[in-house]
Amino acid sequence: MAINVVLYAPLVFTVFRRRRRKVNASNLADAFNGLELALKEAVPDLPAGFTWEEAIGRLRASGVQTKGMEAALRSYEEYRYGGLPLTDIDFREVVKVANMLGGTSTVRSGGASVGR
Amino acid sequence: MAAEIRDKVVNEVGKVVIGREKEIDLLLMCLLARGHVLLEGVPGVSKTLVANAFAKCLGLQFKRVQFTPDILPLDIIGGFVFNLKDREFEFRKGPIFTNILLADEINRAPPKVQSALLESMQELQVTVEGHTEKLPFPFMVIATQNPLEFEGVYPLPEGQLDRFMVKVSFKYPSKEVESDILKRNLSGIDVNDVKTVLTLSELEALVKEVDGVKVSDDVLAYLARVAEATRNEGALVLGASPRAMVQLVHCARAKALLEGRRYVTPDDLKSIANDVLTHRLTIDRAAALKGVSRNPEAILTAILDRVEPPR
Repeated sequence: MAINVVLYAPLVFTVFRRRRRKVNASNLADAFNGLELALKEAVPDLPAGFTWEEAIGRLRASGVQTKGMEAALRSYEEYRYGGLPLTDIDFREVVKVANMLGGTSTVRSGGASVGR
Repeated sequence: MAAEIRDKVVNEVGKVVIGREKEIDLLLMCLLARGHVLLEGVPGVSKTLVANAFAKCLGLQFKRVQFTPDILPLDIIGGFVFNLKDREFEFRKGPIFTNILLADEINRAPPKVQSALLESMQELQVTVEGHTEKLPFPFMVIATQNPLEFEGVYPLPEGQLDRFMVKVSFKYPSKEVESDILKRNLSGIDVNDVKTVLTLSELEALVKEVDGVKVSDDVLAYLARVAEATRNEGALVLGASPRAMVQLVHCARAKALLEGRRYVTPDDLKSIANDVLTHRLTIDRAAALKGVSRNPEAILTAILDRVEPPR
């Protein structure tokens, strides 16, 4: 019994951790909030003062496809900094990247690849 | 519209100056934000040519004054001369009455002349013996200083440096750009090849549009945190002044407009912060002796890396 606990507890913990990190966004703002949290965890050397352009630049340099995200970012910035209403632009790419980063992925500086 | 004009200006000035897109961008931002520019660079890196071509492509009047140790305030702003015909004194305008004034080697002039010029920059008018004359619109001073010469110069004090919206460093061109410059010079460069791409009324409209670019409260709060961080930074004895932060906002607004946006993002601020702020920061010499960076750009970059922007 004790051996089972020792063996399976980390696995269960990891599964729960990954489930907790999964981003479920209902709108563009949620998607970017989720991405922000995922970035902070997955890219520990990203400075606290990072901006969206810098973060996306880092992802791009790491080989992540950011084209879909960039269109969504423009729309999000119009809402966040321009005071315009949120649009119904497709934000699945943002959620996809956030989920890809969550838990197991790492993005290292210097253009290394994304992955386990 | 603003983004198209920006491209036109860069292309037009690019006909006579190669590899100075960033510098031209900063000049245009500064003009739209009603600021003045300090150019720093060794002789022969096209500072004067850029200023001249920039004024030409905007259809603005351009004058150049070479600052020397014996120059007087009257040589810049003008003064009263006796008119023998009318038998009375009349005001004769100095070269400052132009749209773009190139103040070459500003640090060669004595402090009295520097302060006369800088007062006019701030107030956009000239007052001599109680007589006030407004400067034309737009009015921008592009001052140059040579970073290598220390003999016989009067360095601008902090309070006067603060009047310049941006400091643009003209570095040596890359090998590729230098090769292009040499090639271009074989056939001769003529500033008259630069065409005017903007009318005065269009320029006036753009300047007004800059005032309409939104800066959210979150972004303003972020700027206040950055300002506070520069003032609490141990390696600096003088951080960013409120005037510096106001100028950073204006410049960022112009940048946003030139990129086709009606709002300022933290990216706008971060990308120009070094150009707007570093010449106003004073390094603590004691801290520098203890091995802390002497480079204000590195210190400011570290601060910007620490302060969290709104996301």
